[in-house]
Amino acid sequence: MGEVMIPFLLRAIVAIFIISINAAITGTFTVFRNVSFLVAGTAHAALAGAALALILESLGFHVPVLLGGVLFAIFAAISAGYASGRGKVGRREDTNTAIAISFALSMSLAVLFISMVREYAARVWGLLIGDLFLLSYSDLAIMFITTLLVIAITALFYRAFLYLSFDAEAAIASGVKVGLYDYLLLSTIALSVVAIMGGVGAILVFAMFVAPAAIAKRFAKSISRVFLLSFLISFSSGIAGIALSFYLPFSPGAMAAVMVSSTYFVSVFVKK
Amino acid sequence: MEAVVIKDLCCTYDGFVAIDRVNMIVNKGEFVAIMGPNGGGKTTLLRAIAGMIKPQRGYVKVKGEIGYMPQKEHVNFEIPIKVREVVEMGIMSKKKKFSLFSKLSREEKELVNNALKAVDMLKFVERNFTELSGGQQQRVLLARAIATKPDILLLDEPFNGVDLPTQEKIIKLLDNLASEGVSVITVVHNVSPLIHHVSRIALLNRELIAYGKPEEVLTPENTAKTYGIPIPTTVCKEGYIHPLFGDIHG
Repeated sequence: MGEVMIPFLLRAIVAIFIISINAAITGTFTVFRNVSFLVAGTAHAALAGAALALILESLGFHVPVLLGGVLFAIFAAISAGYASGRGKVGRREDTNTAIAISFALSMSLAVLFISMVREYAARVWGLLIGDLFLLSYSDLAIMFITTLLVIAITALFYRAFLYLSFDAEAAIASGVKVGLYDYLLLSTIALSVVAIMGGVGAILVFAMFVAPAAIAKRFAKSISRVFLLSFLISFSSGIAGIALSFYLPFSPGAMAAVMVSSTYFVSVFVKK
Repeated sequence: MEAVVIKDLCCTYDGFVAIDRVNMIVNKGEFVAIMGPNGGGKTTLLRAIAGMIKPQRGYVKVKGEIGYMPQKEHVNFEIPIKVREVVEMGIMSKKKKFSLFSKLSREEKELVNNALKAVDMLKFVERNFTELSGGQQQRVLLARAIATKPDILLLDEPFNGVDLPTQEKIIKLLDNLASEGVSVITVVHNVSPLIHHVSRIALLNRELIAYGKPEEVLTPENTAKTYGIPIPTTVCKEGYIHPLFGDIHG
């Protein structure tokens, strides 16, 4: 390995560490709240936001592309949460159905917006495709700051998120503002997804935000162990992906995603 | 003393009338069973008393703190949560202690232990909730509801999937709570095991068909109006009237 590669390698390892923290925290709550599809939904909603930011830029209003993406993703998450009516008792829409419809709406908007700024389309689609070895320091800084925010929100409202995921009905009866905390949880997941996706690409985020927690949940005997095991699974898959990419002509992110997704299916087979 | 006053209550879900024209009073220390067919509005009535849904018309007035035990079907069994954490949830929610670093005070820990002791589940405190049997899970959920020392205890089908010995334990506990002044209101499908303990029965099918002492309520006319067919009854040697069968959870 040439010395020239070392900064790229270090940045990739730091990114995997940050992604693994998000996989442990946001990923675990994504699985607990049973909104795995939200990860894909918000990632695609971010495309529409990014495209709208570029349209505004072409009109002379500067809006950062990532900010546009984050705002749209949060809007999609809140819309899905509203449609599912988690804060209300009685009849409610299945959250994943609401996410799917919100996904369809935001993808249609993305295509519409992108067609209006064809010359910048690559920048929009770039949100979906990232590379662990091509991360800049500013990508890392955004990922790091977002992760701190995610840690802070989750630490402050940990029990509210847990209770609404475990037994929303009892939480409402106890006076917990379940609807409000559900919006906050879904928005935190959306924020985490888009900030990490902007750096490393959507495929790695899809894989890392769902599979490790889904595997950990099958084996862990306590909630804290789900967090720890999710972190360890995503970190080791990420490092293995980076290591393998030195020997095989594939992207480290894709390798890590293949590893963690395969581990999930193996875990299903082992603990059937 | 009146603990719950329900006046001309009407509740709807998206325009669908779940219950209408319900009038009821539950006194302090009363043990009330709510019966009725599936879809008859039993859970809705409990939710309205708990303040979880806003009435379309009428009102519910409650005097005191409420403890609520929803049906077990609402619980997410995918989360490997410990028994202690489940029971703590009731107290933490009431006190709005949501932070990861929130801790229970010594008195609150005592409340958790006492509640688990009352349902005979203290020895399982560090066990994983999802690994318990159905009856044990019901007892833990009951412990969560009573840990906050409620004045009014609302239970939605607490005997679902519960074996007979456990059922006996739960009934004895509810009876004790009622004698200590807690108003216990429970939805049941089969009232027979409770009949020696309940002070009043409500028959509900969208509207309140009858409400009063078991022997006044469990008449062929009332049960026919509630369930569509009259339910035969028998009188036990202690002189209590027992319906010969109950319906099942839908």
